[in-house]
Amino acid sequence: MSEQVEQLIKKEYAAGFHTDIESETLPPGLNEDVVRFISAKKNEPEWMLEWRLKAYRAWLTMKEPDWAHVHYPEIDFQAVSYYSAPKSLADRPKSLDEVDPDLIETYNKLGIPLHEQEMLAGVAVDAVFDSVSVVTTFRGKLEEAGVIFCPISEAVHKYPELVKKYIGTVVPQRDNYYAALNSAVFSDGSFVYIPKGVRCPMELSTYFRINQMNTGQFERTLIIADEGSHVSYLEGCTAPQRDENQLHAAVVELIALDNAEIKYSTVQNWYPGDENGKGGIYNFVTKRGICHTRAKISWTQVETGSAVTWKYPSCILKGDHSIGEFYSVALTNNCQQADTGTKMIHLGKHTKSTIISKGISAGRSQNAYRGLVRMGPSAAGARNYTQCDSLLIGDRCGAHTFPYIESAHPSAIVEHEATTSKVSDDQMFLCQQRGLDAEKAVSMIVNGFCREVFKQLPMEFAVEAGKLLEVSLEGSVG
Amino acid sequence: MSGEFQQAALTLAGAQHFPAWLTDARAQGAAVWQGLAWPTRKTEAWRYTSLLPLENAQWQPAQARQLTDLSELVELDAYRLVFVNGHFAAHLSTECPAALVRFSEADSAQQALIREHLNQVADQQQHLFAALNSSWLQEGVLLHLGANQRLDKPVYLVQVSDQADAQAMNARVLVVLESGAEAELLEHFYSTEADDKGWMNATTECVVGANASLRHYRINLESEQSLHTGGVHVRLAQDARFNGFTLANGSRLKRLDYHIKHLGSGSDLQLNGIYLPRNQQRVDYHTQVEHCVPHCTTTEVFRGVIADSARAVFNGRIHIHPDAQKTLAEMSNRNLLTSDQAQVNTKPELEIYADDVRCAHGATVSQLNDEALFYLTSRGISEAEARVMLSFGFVNELVEGVALEPLQQWLRPRIAQMFGQNDQLTRHIIHD
Repeated sequence: MSEQVEQLIKKEYAAGFHTDIESETLPPGLNEDVVRFISAKKNEPEWMLEWRLKAYRAWLTMKEPDWAHVHYPEIDFQAVSYYSAPKSLADRPKSLDEVDPDLIETYNKLGIPLHEQEMLAGVAVDAVFDSVSVVTTFRGKLEEAGVIFCPISEAVHKYPELVKKYIGTVVPQRDNYYAALNSAVFSDGSFVYIPKGVRCPMELSTYFRINQMNTGQFERTLIIADEGSHVSYLEGCTAPQRDENQLHAAVVELIALDNAEIKYSTVQNWYPGDENGKGGIYNFVTKRGICHTRAKISWTQVETGSAVTWKYPSCILKGDHSIGEFYSVALTNNCQQADTGTKMIHLGKHTKSTIISKGISAGRSQNAYRGLVRMGPSAAGARNYTQCDSLLIGDRCGAHTFPYIESAHPSAIVEHEATTSKVSDDQMFLCQQRGLDAEKAVSMIVNGFCREVFKQLPMEFAVEAGKLLEVSLEGSVG
Repeated sequence: MSGEFQQAALTLAGAQHFPAWLTDARAQGAAVWQGLAWPTRKTEAWRYTSLLPLENAQWQPAQARQLTDLSELVELDAYRLVFVNGHFAAHLSTECPAALVRFSEADSAQQALIREHLNQVADQQQHLFAALNSSWLQEGVLLHLGANQRLDKPVYLVQVSDQADAQAMNARVLVVLESGAEAELLEHFYSTEADDKGWMNATTECVVGANASLRHYRINLESEQSLHTGGVHVRLAQDARFNGFTLANGSRLKRLDYHIKHLGSGSDLQLNGIYLPRNQQRVDYHTQVEHCVPHCTTTEVFRGVIADSARAVFNGRIHIHPDAQKTLAEMSNRNLLTSDQAQVNTKPELEIYADDVRCAHGATVSQLNDEALFYLTSRGISEAEARVMLSFGFVNELVEGVALEPLQQWLRPRIAQMFGQNDQLTRHIIHD
């Protein structure tokens, strides 16, 4: 009897919950109307809607890829809601006291200042307004240099010719299953344009785009560096991010025109699920850049979060003498799974690429490097060097390497090296003998293992990344 | 299309007579073959190799032929069994000890042994041509050595293709070494004619017992028009050793699988391979080494020189199962492209589920070293000859590792001639 009552109460609550936010959130499911709805919400011009619909129709004909070395329950794409407006101020926690104490503890360990903590946790207080003023100053400086840095939804209205010209040129709508999905329903993201010969006066970061904090699960970023320009872009932050959306499918397109340089750094720390692998974000990302003559694109990533990561930042080295770089640290703990790596497609003559990948697996996690180096038939004198090392902590985790090397030019040189080992007993002994406890020792050794990659990160990021690894590895030793 | 081919391929064996005790194995192989999805270019294991040459031909069962010319054989004092078009050629073969027997001659104890081990090593679900091979079974070779036995001479198995039509052949070898036994086995495949269009489907299974040792050589030098689908499958018991060497040129379709399982601790695998495709040839090596238990070692070295418009594929996988601690595994694959149209696709994979292991792999693709070329030409050697010398030097290290001396001597001039037909170009490599 009392059980029945309880069920009834729950039922009512569920229904009430839905009606409450109906106006701002679409019911789960995906069809053409949903795509039209999203487009209409953003007041998009007709061509943008057509573009989305084309992607949606392509998506319908595609199959979810199953080749990656990850396992997760089947995703029901009709059970996902594809549009939800950012939380209103009233829904947000009023102060840090209302935020999950675990989260606060992690923030403290990472040494994040109080007002930033409030912002990250989504607290609806003055801290946000403080940051707004910071942002305004930044914007002024950027405008002076002629740099465009705005949400892509804004760019569609303000710079339609640029967006129209470049969007989908690097990652076409039907590139892969998740890219097609993203193209159809992308919520928002960053748009960056650096004019000819301009060196962007500061590091650009999504972090400062606070009014767009809740870009949601289908983010789309487009960065165009015009001839001879230079930009460094930071994505994400070291602080753990919680998100109620389980499925994330972002697309990032980089275009480096002649002699331009783009440096793209990512620190990804989405919620990885609990110790038993419950919950956690599925992160299916398509990132790709195209390099014209003598251009350079450099990807640096530190991946510590997400339950499932499926991510291959790539470079198409189209122009002669162009350069692609990929530096990555991927750490998995508990039940996390990562299948990540890069693709370097050498088309132009004397193109160069470097791949340094460091994988660390602990707990019961699975960490795979999957990379492709392709030397096209006209890639005379092209050069690639790949090094991927794996470190194993604990005897129930897995580390895998799947490098694809395709060479069709005799003067192209490809070198690939990979090693897998565990934290050596000798190293541990030495550290412990010097008075470090086991956990500190491991974190020190891991930091040394990742040094080559951390070196590539902007300074503040590098320091935080080290701490981040330490926090993520907590409890994996001893 | 593919389904039709799968059906048609089965009938190739239907008309032929076979020992009744192989009926079950044949039926089982046929069932697996029919049930398997036909690989396409999207199938990971066949990503770079097309099976169209196989599907597009009208295959007939191969007919027995008389063969007199033995000049292509390795001069080797060995127990020799020669098969021409898959049919046994008694007059070309030597007397053999009881340990070496053809399936059709096997006594009841040997039949029982064959039935016990056949298809226990090769995973038919994973290797579809091993399944087809079983469905075609009518003849094969068993080498069985009891505990601590060893033969006084190596075993030399020759498969000659002597035909001009699209005929399909089958070859099956089963090696069973009981504990402490030792054997040396050379498998040699070749065509008599340059335009031989035969299709050889060869499966070899080796059961290497505790502390036993097998040296295995496989030489695939068939014609350019021929097709070959083959595999060598090995199980290693405690402290067993397998020392393998494989050499192949290319042909329209040539796929070679090596699948080795470490099932007893302390076992050791050495596998060396050379592939030398030229002209329009294709060659595809897939190797898979599984470490299922702790304390095993693997050293795998493959080198390829790819010339003209040839294409090579190397896919090497080392799989360390959970609990296979203290494993030492190394794999290296180096490739030399000597022409603008040559292509190589290499994929050295590691799949590791144990932490206390040391695994490394390396792969390179490059061309001949300019400085080395310059050095040789500055010493008065023509550029053409220098290229031949350096190409030969690239694989020579592995050739010199061949423990069977007569085979090594036989290989040297043949490899050299693949790089330069002209005697003048190979004069510094082949000494009289």
